[in-house]
Order: sequence, then structure tokens, then C-alpha cells
Amino acid sequence: MTTAPVPRARPNGWYGMLALVAAESALFATLLATYAYLRFSDPRWPPPGIEPPSITAPLVLALVLVAASAPLAIASRTARRRGAGPLVAPVALALVIQAVYLAFQVHLYADDLGRFSAGGSAYGSIYFTLLAVHHAHVGVGVLLDGWLLTRLRGDLTEYRRGAVMAVALYWYFVSLAGLAVTATILIPAW
Amino acid sequence: MAVESPAPAAAARIDRLERIWAERPGLTGWLTTTDHKRIALLYLATSLAFFAAGGAEALAMRTQLAQPNERVIGPATYDQLMTMHGVTMIFFFVIPLSIGAFGNYLVPLMIGARDMAFPRMNALSYWLFLGSGLLVYTSLLLGMAPDAGWFDYVPLASRRFSPGLGIDFYALGLILNGVSSSAAAANFLVTIAKLRAPGMSLNRMPLFCYAILATSFSLIFALPPLTADLVFLELDRKLGFKFFDVAHGGDPLLWQHLFWIFGHPEVYIIVLPAFGIATSIIPTFTRRMMAAFPLVAVAELLVAFIGFGVWVHHMFATGLPATTMVFFAAASLIIVIPSGIQIFAWCMTMVTGRPEFKTPLLFIVGFIVFFVFGGLSGITLAAVPFDQQVTDTYYVVAHFHYVIWGAAVFPLLGGLYYWFPKVTGRMYYERVGQLTFWLVFAGTNLTFFPMHISGMLGMPRRVWTYPGGLGWNVENLLSTIGAFFLAGGLVVLLANLVVSAYRGAPAGPNPFGGGTLEWATSSPPPAYNFDVIPQVTSAYACWDDADRADDRRRLETGELVLEEGHETTASTPVDGHLDEILHMPSESPWPFVLGIVATLGTAFVLTDHYLIAAVAVALAAAVLTLWHAKEPAAA
Amino acid sequence: MACVLGMLATGCGSDQSITSPVTEPAREIDTLWWAMFAGGMVIFGIVLGLLVLAYVRRRRSSDPDRAERVSYAVILGGGMVAPVVLLAVLFAFVIRVMPAVSAPEPGSTSLTVEVTGHQWYWEVRYPGTDAVTANEIHLPAGTPVRIVARTADVIHSFWVPRLNRKIDMIPGRTNSIELDVPKVGTYRGQCSEFCGLGHAEMAFEVIVQPPAAFRRWLDHEAQPAETPAGGAAAAGQEEFQSASCEDCHTIRGTPADGKVGPDLTHIGSRRTLAALTIPNTPGDLYQWITNPQGWKPGSRMPGFASLPASARRALVSYLEGLR
Repeated sequence: MTTAPVPRARPNGWYGMLALVAAESALFATLLATYAYLRFSDPRWPPPGIEPPSITAPLVLALVLVAASAPLAIASRTARRRGAGPLVAPVALALVIQAVYLAFQVHLYADDLGRFSAGGSAYGSIYFTLLAVHHAHVGVGVLLDGWLLTRLRGDLTEYRRGAVMAVALYWYFVSLAGLAVTATILIPAW
Repeated sequence: MAVESPAPAAAARIDRLERIWAERPGLTGWLTTTDHKRIALLYLATSLAFFAAGGAEALAMRTQLAQPNERVIGPATYDQLMTMHGVTMIFFFVIPLSIGAFGNYLVPLMIGARDMAFPRMNALSYWLFLGSGLLVYTSLLLGMAPDAGWFDYVPLASRRFSPGLGIDFYALGLILNGVSSSAAAANFLVTIAKLRAPGMSLNRMPLFCYAILATSFSLIFALPPLTADLVFLELDRKLGFKFFDVAHGGDPLLWQHLFWIFGHPEVYIIVLPAFGIATSIIPTFTRRMMAAFPLVAVAELLVAFIGFGVWVHHMFATGLPATTMVFFAAASLIIVIPSGIQIFAWCMTMVTGRPEFKTPLLFIVGFIVFFVFGGLSGITLAAVPFDQQVTDTYYVVAHFHYVIWGAAVFPLLGGLYYWFPKVTGRMYYERVGQLTFWLVFAGTNLTFFPMHISGMLGMPRRVWTYPGGLGWNVENLLSTIGAFFLAGGLVVLLANLVVSAYRGAPAGPNPFGGGTLEWATSSPPPAYNFDVIPQVTSAYACWDDADRADDRRRLETGELVLEEGHETTASTPVDGHLDEILHMPSESPWPFVLGIVATLGTAFVLTDHYLIAAVAVALAAAVLTLWHAKEPAAA
Repeated sequence: MACVLGMLATGCGSDQSITSPVTEPAREIDTLWWAMFAGGMVIFGIVLGLLVLAYVRRRRSSDPDRAERVSYAVILGGGMVAPVVLLAVLFAFVIRVMPAVSAPEPGSTSLTVEVTGHQWYWEVRYPGTDAVTANEIHLPAGTPVRIVARTADVIHSFWVPRLNRKIDMIPGRTNSIELDVPKVGTYRGQCSEFCGLGHAEMAFEVIVQPPAAFRRWLDHEAQPAETPAGGAAAAGQEEFQSASCEDCHTIRGTPADGKVGPDLTHIGSRRTLAALTIPNTPGDLYQWITNPQGWKPGSRMPGFASLPASARRALVSYLEGLR
């Protein structure tokens, strides 16, 4: 016997992505804990002169990001089962939604910077840092989507199968992180 | 070459494997290597070079402290030396040596694989490590090394009180170093999960691999808090953010919490591989399986896990609420239990076995002595009121050198001897080896024992000089003598290894009769590690003569020889059933290129050239794309 | 072990030793230490014994099953059961001692002294009076005193080993510790959190006096500086102004109100200079003014070697007269 017919376990690339997701989750956990720590050390949060964030836009956007993972979940399932379903279309759809999401977020971020600064208070520092880290992860994810699309030409090899599953895993993580980040920055509004 | 003289069909297979796995000769080969063994040797040489630097820093400090009111070096230089000594020994010596050299070399061999799961990322980890070390040491060459101590408390480390670039070298260098270690950790986790030889279920995996597994989990979860802390510091320093600024709602204790949330697991990251080496050496030299093997494996994982819950014991003097301190004191005491289990397991294996006190085992005996002693002083530090007297004194310096030097490095030294024949194909000089043990053991005690006393007599840490008349003179002089004696012992040790590498007697594949798979192949191993992927049916696969004879039979028939390309097997994560044949990448320039780009990018951030740094990021993305341009051969 | 006890014994007269306690809290910590030391030595001895046993028995083989059973028994007994019991006892001991070394309850002390750490000296104030001094803390014997620990810049740590544990001085926080010293005497303390270049030269003294003597000292300390009698001292006072010393130092009762360096109102009566770095004699003070960096590299105070020697001598006369 030199080879198993079809691998049962998830591909190495998926496990590697899991390790990355674990590390980045610890990073987000640290940032969220820092937010909570600073918030509970300071009775005035946000400090006077800074409006608490509005609720609607961040919440809607967070849900949009989660929704964008749906087509990726479909693609990932197809890949995992080595099915014949479409892969390029769902990944492209997800990419478009995520790119539009990112554009909106960057716009809101620039707006916020016009109203208060990161260097003016600990509130501003953690607010802008937390959001920047999240948006950077979204940006990297969009690039990953683009790369994945260039790979999905031709047969579904084991490598491409692993790539789809890994990128989907990345986005599940980023969407969940997005929910946690949104919930946290909306703490003043609770 | 093969273990025995092979028959013609077998010889043809070996020939094919040699050709497939051969790497380019010369410097190019080293720059583009993805062979885990060569990467390990790169880590070995580099970490030992940094060890020499850290040791020189220590000797300079000890010279200055030999007598009271000495003026050999002033406080500005001394503060840089003490900071660089700590940073070097932890980030550029002991961790790269443990996981980069020992882990990298041994894990694939011990699990019966031909390489790590991600060979190019393995090389990248090395180049990032080298880059981070060179970046931080540039600061020393420029006379602007960081000087706020290795834990770099704010506000002292803030721009206001440390206006130069030193702290920025520290912060950015360690962020880069953290990426290197995180990548290595991820690589070990996937390798251990997927690349074990068929039949190696988790309960048959060597204890060294359990230690690396625990270490890797810890690294993944401990490094991000440090990275975040360093990023906050740089944002404060470079862009005027206010994370740690009290006047604007920040808090200096935030730095301490995040630092120690990393810092305490870090010390277990430092010592766990040493536990793994001890549990490799003891069974071999006592001709007995490790006592209570499952308890030891679980204990190793528990130490890593509980280690995340004790960090406040570094902050007992900061004025935190009593309830908080009591909780963390309790957690700090609880971690004694998995440590105690391991200590008694090691001892009982020796008591009930037939120990041969050759050099490697001597170093493990020394390790046990230091670990128990250092662990006991650690327990005293969990006693909050006593800690509140001796924290930040030389008592703590004594404690952590007993555990970090005595307990973490002694197994590394023993390991250098133990695996020396495997890596070089030659035996070291045994009698000289034993002498080096006694020299280093005595030197260690002479250097660090008196520090317990000077600490209790009130000598604070991080002082460039001290007045006479306080009872600290004798202890300091003894420590200084000890330090030079220790350095001498280490020089003899190094000389023994270097001379033996050229003139030692040839060693066969298994000169000590070890039970783990690295001893089942030649010394040194071929580039492809094993002629056939071993089948494993027990936890000490190399003591299973029937299985190893079976390997040689399968070499003839070509079963699991995998001679079609750079191939190794993947198995299911828990049970170790053969799952697929993996096609591995081979030599590549991209890890080296990406290492350079990342280091330069960091240097540009350091010097406030953000636009160029952004270009470096874009370049890095391009390199990563090229890296993944070629897919592995279709399955 | 004899070495240890010997070394500790020689240190027993040492002024900064935690094994020479003078107060109740320091004594409790000392007792805790010796109990842990004794227990630790026993445990260390047991492990050493196992290692010796391994050596002695090295040529004897054991029946594998029996060996594994005995091993499990020792491992679980020594590695689990015994630690749980011993550590529980230790934990109970720790909980018992902690209240004695905690911050004092409000209202439980008769006197408050505010100590503020600076790079690299200690500012000492007595709230309710105008008394301000530096690097010396006078206290009445047999009186519970609250020490309020703050910082003006980076993190420092207030530590007098013979009197109590250390307490950090952290920006934005106010920590407290209790000093209730029964015995008259002088006790040495030192900064115990790395605070920059002058960290090693940041010591201080706690001078415990009989209550009546303390009262007299405090009343005197609260007074503004005496005007110099004349001659060299008066010239020195002029020099103090013209050399811009008042930009950094305060001398109450004169226009000098700088806040960078220590208060010098009664500097003449202090035992040492520069936070215990040098003794307070005219010769040493002259050298300090000429070249502070020679004694305390990194000190914020510039050297005044450019002033003529006579000017510096006048300054010394003036300052030494500020008793």
C-alpha cells in the first residue's frame, strides 16, 4: 500500500490556517481586553468632547461581513466534498461584498478621524487601533480572495481544495472577530 | 547512506532518493535550503553566536559588580548591557536553540517524517530570526541599545523618558522576532498533527514531541499579547498615542499586565523543550521506558496551560487588590503539581532503571538539581508577603537563573552531547565531556547561589554599582569569580565538541541504544531522513527490532519508500492512520528574500520612513504570491 | 547549608537585610521565610536522596511491573498528594500574613507622610504642616504611620526591608503602606524599581526618633529657612540666585521655588547628600556642586565647575548653614 484512496483528514494548509487563526484570535482578544481594561479604569468613556459611536452603521456592516461568509461556506463545502458545484462564482461574490464592506469601513474611519484623534486620549488610541487591525485583516482577506480566484482555473486538485477551505476558515474568523469588535466599540452605547 | 549494505533493488531506490533530495552546493544551497536539518544547524550556529554575545554582556556586568563603587563601566553602558543581556539570552539564544535547532532537527526524525509540514516557512522562520537579531544588535553597535531593562516598563520606556531610538529597536526587533517564533510554532503544530509516521497514534508519540507541542501552543497564544503591547508602545512613541499616558486616560499597568501575560508563559516556553530533552535522555541511559509516560505527557501540557493563569505574580508590589493577589498566588502554587509529577517521574525512572551516568545523563542530573532548587525558590516567590520583600532584588535574579540557566540550558548542553553523534557521525570525548559537566555545574552554583543571599540582604536588581558596608561585597565577588569560571567551563565544552567533530571516533546509527526514531537512520541522516517511512507500533519505536527489520524488507519491495519526488506521508491527527502522500516543496529563494524584505521594512518603520515601509509591505505581498505560484504535483 | 546560614548570619547586622526585622510585619515575613526555607531544604534533600539512590542502585535491575507500580506511587505521592497538602499549609500561612503587610485601613494611623519618587530622589512631605524635606523620613517611634507613595515621573518603589515590604510608586496611582516602628534607630531603604540612570543612587533613610524629639524636629522642619548671619553665607545666598539654583530648588522663606530638584530649606541638617550617595560635609558638598556627574552619573543637576572656587565655597557656607 503506497497511498490512501482519498485523504480523510483536512489538508495541512487548513491546519496551518487554523494555527494562524488561533494566533490572530489571541491578538483580537488582547485588543478587546485592552479596551475593556481602559474603559473600566476611566469613569468618563468616551472622554468629554467625543461622541459615542452611532449604532446603526457598525451593526449593519458587521452583519454584512458575516453574510459575505455564506457564499464562502458554500464553496468550502463543495470543495470539502470534492463536489462539482461552482467555486469561482461564490468566491467572487464574497470578494465583491467584502471589498465594498471595506470601502465603507475606510470611509467611516476617515470620518471618525475628522471628529477626534487617536493621540488625544486612550479612548481614541484603542478605538482607532482596534478598528485598524480589524480592517487590515479584512484587507488581507480580500487579497486572499483575489489570489484564490487566480488558482481556481481547471480541476479541483487537492491543493486548490485545501486553499478554498483555508480561505473560508480565515473569513469565518474575520467575521466573528468583526462581530466582537463591533460589540466592543459600541460599549459606550449599551 | 542506508543502515546496512543494501541489495541492488534497494540500492537503486536509495540512489533515486539521494538525487531527488540533493540540494545545491555551497552558499546558494544554504540560502535556499528547506531541509529541516540544515535549517536547524543554521539556528544552532546563530543562537550560539548570540549566546557568546549575551555571555560577554554578562561578564562585563559581573566585572563592574565584582567590588563596591567600581567604575569600570558607567550606568549608561551598564543599563544597555543588562537590557541586551536579557533580550539576547531569551529571544536570540535559548528559544531559537530549543525550538529552532533541537525542535527543528529532531521532530521530523522522531515522528518518522521526511521534513516539516511547511519547509519553506521553516526557512523563513530562521531568516526572520536572524534579521531580528541583527536589527537589535545594530543598536548596540550604534551605541543606542535599549536600556530600560528586558521588560521595559513604561513610563520609563516612553518617548518622554527614553527619547532615543533604543526602545524602538527593542520593540520593533521583538515584533519581528515574534513573527518568526509564531511561524515556527504553527509549523510544529501542523507537523506533529499530520506528519507522524503510520501507526504513530498520539499515545505513541515521543515525549520530546509532546514538549514541543506544548511549547508551540504556548507560543501561539502568548506572543500576541506581547505583540499588541509592543505595538501600543510604538504607537505611543512614534505617533503620540495615549495607551500608557495617565493624563489622557491611559495606564502604565496596562503595559505590565500585557507583558507578563506573555512573559510568564514565555518562561514555560523556555523550559518545556528542556523537559522534552530530559525525557529523551533518561530512558536511553537508564534502559527503561519513562515511568508513568501518560502522566508525564499530560503534565507537560498542563504546565503550559496553567502557565497562562499566573502572570500577576510578577506584579505583587504594584498595589493590586488583595483578592487578585490571592487568586494568582494560588494559581502559582498549583503549577507546582505538574512540575512535581515530572520531577518524580524522572527520578523514579532512574531509580528503577539501570542508569549509566554518561555525560548526557550527568547534565540531566544537574538539570534536576537546578530545577528543584529554582522551583523551590519559585514557590517562596508565590508567598505574596515574602515576594513583596524580595521582588526586584537579586533573590529573583538567583531564582530565574537557576531555572532558566540551570533548568533550561543544562538539558540543551546535555542534548548537544547526546545528539552529537547523530548530527556529526562522530563520538565526542566522554571523559572530557564529564569534566565539562562538573566545571559548568560548579561554575553555575558559584555564580548564582550567592545572589539569593545578596538579594535577601537588600541588594536591588539593575544597579550598576553598590556601596560597601551593606554586606553585599563577598557575594558579588563570588558571583563574578563564578561567572568567569563558568565561562571557562563553557569554552572547554565548546572545544570538546569542535575537536570531536573533526577527530572523534566514527559513530554508528545508535551508539547509545536510544528508543526514538532518529536513531533508526544513519549518522548523520541522509537529506531524506529515512530510506522508508517507518511503521510504528509502540512509543519506543527504535526498540522494536521486528518493526525495524520490517523497514529493511520494505525497502526492497518499495513500500512507503516514496521515491517519485519530495514526498512524505500524512496521517490522521489522533490515530495516526496513513492518510495521504504529501508532495513537499524543495529549495526556494523566497524565504531568504522575504526575510530581507521584512527586516528592511522593520528598519524603515524604526527610522520613521513609513512610505518606504509600505512599499516593503507591498513587496512582501508580491514575494508571497510568487512563493505560492507553483502548486505541488497533483495527487 | 552551613554556608547559607553563615552568610545570612553575617548579614544579620546589615542595615538593609530582610532577615533583621524590626517591626511586626517584617518579623512575620521573616518567620514565613524561615518556615519555607526549612520545608524547602527537606524537599530538596528528598530529591537529592532519590538521585543518590539512583546512583547507588545503578547496577540492579527491577521487575518492570513492580518498578512501574512503585514509580506511580512515588510520583503521585510526591508529585501530587504531598504538594497539595504542603502547599495548602503554605497558602494558609500566606493568607494569615497578608493583612499585616497590606495598606493601612483609613483612620487606623496617627500620622501620614507623603513620599513622592522623582528621578532620582525622594520628596517627603508632612501633610498638615509646611514641612518638606528630601531623602530622609523622620518618624516617631511606636506610632502607626501611613506612608503615601506616589511618583512625579516614572515608576519607583519604596522599600525599607527591616520595616516592611516594598510598595511601587506608579503614575496615576496612590499606594500606601504602614510603618509602625517600635525601636528608635536609622533604617536604610532603596528604590526597587528600575527608574533610569540614577536608580542605583536612589536610597533613603527612615530615622525613627522618640516622639518628643520627633515633634521638635517636625516643628523645626516646618519653619522657613533662617536668613544667613553674614559673610560667606550671605554671599552664598546671592550666588544661589545668580547661579540659577532657584530654577530647580526650593528654599522656603526665599524666592527660590524650583520644583525639579529636592527642597533645600534645611539641607544643612541632613545626614547625607544626593539620596545617600555621599556624606553631608562641606568638602563633599563642594565636590557635588562642582561635578554632580562624578558621583551620580546621569543626575539632572549640571556641574558648576565654571563658577569661581570662591563662589562655590560661598554656596557651601550658605547651604550648610540652612539647618
